[in-house]
Amino acid sequence: MLSPAAIAESRAGLSEIESEYIARSLLREAPTVAPHQTNDEVMQLLSERSDVVSLPVVENGLPIGLINRNIFMDGIAKPFRRELFGRKSCIAFMDKQPLVVSEHMSIQELSFKVVGAGGKTLNDGFVITDDAGLYLGVGTGEDLVKIVTHLQAEKNRLVMESINYASVIQKSFLRASREDMAAALHDYFIHWEPRDKVGGDYYFCKKFEDGFFIALIDCTGHGVPGAFMTLIMASFLDHILLEDNRRDPAGALAMMNRKVKIALGQIGEHNIVPIEGQRFAHSPDKEQSDDGMDTAFCWVESCKLIYAGAKTPLFTLENGATEVTVIEGDRKGVGYVDTPMDYTWTNKEIALSKGMRVYLTTDGIIDQIGGTKDIAFGKKRFCNLLVENSELPLVAQKERIMQAFYTYQGKQRRRDDVSLLGFRI
Amino acid sequence: MNDLYLARTAHSPEVDFRFSSHELTLTGEAYPENAADFFQPLLSALEGYLRGVDGQEIHINFRLTYFNSAATKMLYSMFELLNETACTSNRVILNWFHDEEDDTILEFGEGVHDDFSALDFRPVAVDLATA
Repeated sequence: MLSPAAIAESRAGLSEIESEYIARSLLREAPTVAPHQTNDEVMQLLSERSDVVSLPVVENGLPIGLINRNIFMDGIAKPFRRELFGRKSCIAFMDKQPLVVSEHMSIQELSFKVVGAGGKTLNDGFVITDDAGLYLGVGTGEDLVKIVTHLQAEKNRLVMESINYASVIQKSFLRASREDMAAALHDYFIHWEPRDKVGGDYYFCKKFEDGFFIALIDCTGHGVPGAFMTLIMASFLDHILLEDNRRDPAGALAMMNRKVKIALGQIGEHNIVPIEGQRFAHSPDKEQSDDGMDTAFCWVESCKLIYAGAKTPLFTLENGATEVTVIEGDRKGVGYVDTPMDYTWTNKEIALSKGMRVYLTTDGIIDQIGGTKDIAFGKKRFCNLLVENSELPLVAQKERIMQAFYTYQGKQRRRDDVSLLGFRI
Repeated sequence: MNDLYLARTAHSPEVDFRFSSHELTLTGEAYPENAADFFQPLLSALEGYLRGVDGQEIHINFRLTYFNSAATKMLYSMFELLNETACTSNRVILNWFHDEEDDTILEFGEGVHDDFSALDFRPVAVDLATA
């Protein structure tokens, strides 16, 4: 029988937890009757054992049916039934096709069987047998629900603990960038909001004697796989900037591209191998990844900014200007299978003036569905917000922009990770 | 070639591929947990269909309002197939539906137009509030 103490003591890991419980875990000993026993005897037994909901009928060790207390009592209580059936075999009122399962059946398979069998089985329970089909005992629907609930809660707990800790790691990876931003800039903000506690969005800032390098990165995917990618990208970027190439963001993108493609084995022209002329007839090799990042790399020094973008634009707003300048990056992402190994991105030089604002965002804000029409937030709305709030300190701008974003999102589900950064020269 | 229909879900679009009348429509949003699993059968069916048609006018009605980056890659594979057939055997009209205020979808469509020049790209502005 199910023991709460045994459940509480379980220290099984995620992959073990499923196999830790089988049908036998639910085994309850129950009195049984044989077909030669009479309905009078069943009546006697049921009145003595008020805890018995259903009574298995066993013949030569094999289960042949299940007598449900309520059905039996209702049946026998009708006029003259007792007189007619009292001394007859107890099989008259039994369910001849109860659910019978092997003691080794997994809880998941058992749940599907119980649900598939309908309400009857949840109420009456089921018979558990050994490998030879010999009767062992019964299991109840109540115990099954308890154990399924427990397994679910336990699995959730393990997954959440693991993600929460992953989030701690990802945040501590961002710490160096936060410190360098604080050292390099006076008026700035960073908003980083992964959709699932951890995510594929990432920001990077490194201060040098002669300026600082800043990047906003959107790796493939979100959640845990996205977070894996950010750590790979961050370590590559750190490495690349150790060499003297910080003033060449496009060159850094090209280096990242080569590193990612080699590291993830994404060097083929196409990851879908043509088979007999039909490219999509068979599933592609599941082990072949097609991951990478969309990003904007910027080198900022006293009076200029050098920007190179992979599907990530740069937004600038001059002091007193009423229109945002959007500088589009190149249209290839970094590292993906369809980005050639020798692809080159372009550097764009932007002259910086005093008071100029610079913003970067991943597609999480622009593409979010919401509003009255359930359409994307859009660049136009985003740029309007930048203009409307441009006179505020950057931290206050962030509050306004995000508030407008949350309002726009409304009841819609968040579609992606959201990141936004801005600074004033 | 059998027509292909899939109902819309929270994460995947309605797919209405009427191969018999050469009209293929995608409506809704595409951010399935595994984009390859969702799109491979569609691409496979489309490729099979395209091998059996010649000299046809094929209408594509693109009515998606959101797709994530993984789905975008799959959509590009689809446009690639269509662009190839438009270069060699069939005329492909790509009706690109977007809300009149949805600059994101329109801009994406213009990118598709640049990348797949053999497709007859036709932006169609609609008002989704009244649609």
